[in-house]
Amino acid sequence: MRVISKEDFAEFVNALIKDKSLNVIGVKAKGDKFAFGPLESASELRLDYDVTLLPPKKYFFPQRETLVTYDVTTGFAVPKAEEVKPLVIIGVHPYDIVALLHMDEIFKETKSDPYYFEKRNASIIIGINIQNMSKYCFAPQMGCAVIDYGYDLMLTDLGNRYAINIGHAKGEELLNKYAKNVTTALARDIQLVGQKKREILNMSKQKFDFSPELIPELLSKTYEKSGFWEKHSEKCLACGSCVLVCPTCYCFDVKDSTDLSLERGERIRTWDGCLLEDFAKIASGENFRPTRPTRYRHRYFKKGKYLYDRFGFISCVGCGRCSSNCLPDIANPVKLFNDMYHETKSLGVEITPAAEPSVEIQTEGNIDYVPKLATIVKKVSMTANETLFEIKLDDGSELGHKPGQFVEVSVFGIGEAPISVSSSPTKKGTFELCVRKLGNVTTKLHTLKEGDKVGIRGPFGNGFDYEFLKGKDLLFVAGGLGIAPLRSLFNYVLDNREKYGRVILLYGCKEPRELLFSEEMLALAKRDDVEFKPTVNWCPENEVWTGNIGVITTLIPQVSFDPESTYAVVCGPPIMYKFVIHDLKDRNLPDDHIILSLERRMKCGVGKCGHCQINQIYVCKDGPVFNYSKIKGVPEAL
Amino acid sequence: MAKPKVAFFDFAGCEGDQLQVANLEEELLDLLGQVEVVSFREVMKEHSDNYDIAFIEGSCTRLQDEERLKQIRKTAKLVVAIGSCATIGGINSLRNDKDLDDVRKTVYGEDARLFDSYAARPIDAVIPVDAYVHGCPITKDEFLSVVKSLLLGKKPDIPTYPVCVECKKNENVCAFERGQYCVGPVTRAGCNSCCVNEGTICWGCRGLVDNPNENSEKEVLIKYGLTVDDAINKFKLYFGWQERKR
Repeated sequence: MRVISKEDFAEFVNALIKDKSLNVIGVKAKGDKFAFGPLESASELRLDYDVTLLPPKKYFFPQRETLVTYDVTTGFAVPKAEEVKPLVIIGVHPYDIVALLHMDEIFKETKSDPYYFEKRNASIIIGINIQNMSKYCFAPQMGCAVIDYGYDLMLTDLGNRYAINIGHAKGEELLNKYAKNVTTALARDIQLVGQKKREILNMSKQKFDFSPELIPELLSKTYEKSGFWEKHSEKCLACGSCVLVCPTCYCFDVKDSTDLSLERGERIRTWDGCLLEDFAKIASGENFRPTRPTRYRHRYFKKGKYLYDRFGFISCVGCGRCSSNCLPDIANPVKLFNDMYHETKSLGVEITPAAEPSVEIQTEGNIDYVPKLATIVKKVSMTANETLFEIKLDDGSELGHKPGQFVEVSVFGIGEAPISVSSSPTKKGTFELCVRKLGNVTTKLHTLKEGDKVGIRGPFGNGFDYEFLKGKDLLFVAGGLGIAPLRSLFNYVLDNREKYGRVILLYGCKEPRELLFSEEMLALAKRDDVEFKPTVNWCPENEVWTGNIGVITTLIPQVSFDPESTYAVVCGPPIMYKFVIHDLKDRNLPDDHIILSLERRMKCGVGKCGHCQINQIYVCKDGPVFNYSKIKGVPEAL
Repeated sequence: MAKPKVAFFDFAGCEGDQLQVANLEEELLDLLGQVEVVSFREVMKEHSDNYDIAFIEGSCTRLQDEERLKQIRKTAKLVVAIGSCATIGGINSLRNDKDLDDVRKTVYGEDARLFDSYAARPIDAVIPVDAYVHGCPITKDEFLSVVKSLLLGKKPDIPTYPVCVECKKNENVCAFERGQYCVGPVTRAGCNSCCVNEGTICWGCRGLVDNPNENSEKEVLIKYGLTVDDAINKFKLYFGWQERKR
């Protein structure tokens, strides 16, 4: 431990500011509140602050950030790099440092986010032990009020001097280079720092009536508790304040912004929040979390359960910003969890800490947000609203997808949308996307012509386990556009026909004119190694239909299959799954023989933006293909 | 491809939104590279009834206006309502819960009988509207963003979340914390919280979000010190028409 007088500390800060190769940030007053901002002089520093309006994450994951630039004539590119100056942030409270460590793990899981780490790796964090605690702060209860790690330097105010703990060589170098009269701490200073830290642990006015390690388990017992979430969210304004000020919230939206040439623009990432109304809404208009109670609940589960199960930490550091920013005062986690605890206890339910989750975080390489340029080589209109696009990557490479995976398709000036790949990987050189005209991207895509350019990212997702399915009998059940992802597996199976058992396809749509891949279906009907049964919900008088009439489930009794050897592969509109699964189970098909492909708002495709989340699951990364036995207990799934 | 022809129309309003367009300055030339303005009485004498996109400012406040609106709808491929009066009824709707004859007498005195009037309403209460540029007045940035979207064949990106989202991103001290009373928590965002950024409050000029929690917002206003009547008046300033419809 070192010690520096306050005068010399001010000189140290001023020396940092003077060095124009550094970007020096500190806590400053903003009205009656405080905020991190660029320092012009050490005298602006307010290290006695209670809490800042926004956490320092804004420097690594800014409110608005350009991910990609585009130009119709040249394609997509990484934005011209601004010089990243090393960022020195002075006065970070321990809870915000822990929050940054959470963000680090989240942004590096599976693949690293280069935009975040470019800035984060170039940062130097100078922490300060809390002198004044916000009345909403409960960092001591979360174990985040005093820390021994995560900082480069950590200051403790000792009246006329600061004690300095050195956490990292970067911090020591900074001291050596810019600070004068730094001495080794004497025993009394070491003792004083220890005393200050103990005082901090008793500063919080917020108290849990139970040990916070019970939070994940408490949540599990409360998910479906009747009326609980409705009661607590009744006054929710769905304004998103609680999540926007949160130091561990990382959800984002991505939007394209074109300049007035209409040919050039930027793809911009902005903060988003799961409390906001459209967060889980997809292009068809379906909203998977349409009500305030469901979104309110999701926030607590994400912090206290889903991230805990995935990373092993409760993603709340107790800063209290959510509570202090909630006008109707319903966002205080301490209040909510205390209420949850007492309600659960009053039912006589025993609450013991959940078993420690087994955390397996893998990380490999960087996320590439820049789409590859690709050309529409063929466009075949299939129905009034659906078109099959055949696409070739301009660099000549193969997409290299597995059946069931999806790509993110970019249309210049409009944006990006997730589309499942409809062709089998056995088809080389190009791939096919069967697209329904629904949202902005797909509507514009329909106006493009053969030879026009699009952008492609991916493939993403897990895809079907076509190796495992070898030798099995396959029962494909497709509703409407659900045939699009299934076709990638179906065609793969047909191309490797001898490796699979029986192949049955049940395919339904609303009316005959909506039948997709009609020519291929006609050819199927003639094959004797495939059993094909189509159905329509109704047939208008002026159209001809000789097949079954009725919803997709009316086909299930018409086929015989051996539940032991058969695997059902199901994809269709959200409403369809419940009924199909019910009828398949009625036919004794075991749960783990039902494989589903689900649709959500897969915005980033790489498990970061949060939009496609079904409870703890990221559809873009953990799915979109799921074994029913694994997700039947996931309440938001079906 | 021929540039789309654009025309501006005004009904009951202050023409402040068209003024924002006229004030586009350097962007105006870029914009004129994409569209041909055929009618815009604030900046030009010429007028043509041959147009593709109609921008309409102001509320509909009398029966005769309806005919004119229907004619515009018939001619234009796209109708865009600009400014609060056109998008949500605006402050014109303040008069809707007063006696109309009294209102007319106050405004026109003895000549009141010469001036016909009915409840002020937004454009979409009379004709279908394809896009909205909210605000009182509209912001240049959002106007351009909506125009670009329409030219690209994209649905304009109008937030469904409230102003608080932008306020938080801008790291403003909450107006309530400054001792002010704000309706930002129920007002549609898209303005980049411009008023609160400048130290004032959100008055609600962009109208209510799709699913506002009005009771909770009124409770908040009262909790922070407004009387019930004042809280109700806060809502009336811009939300009058929308509240009546709800």
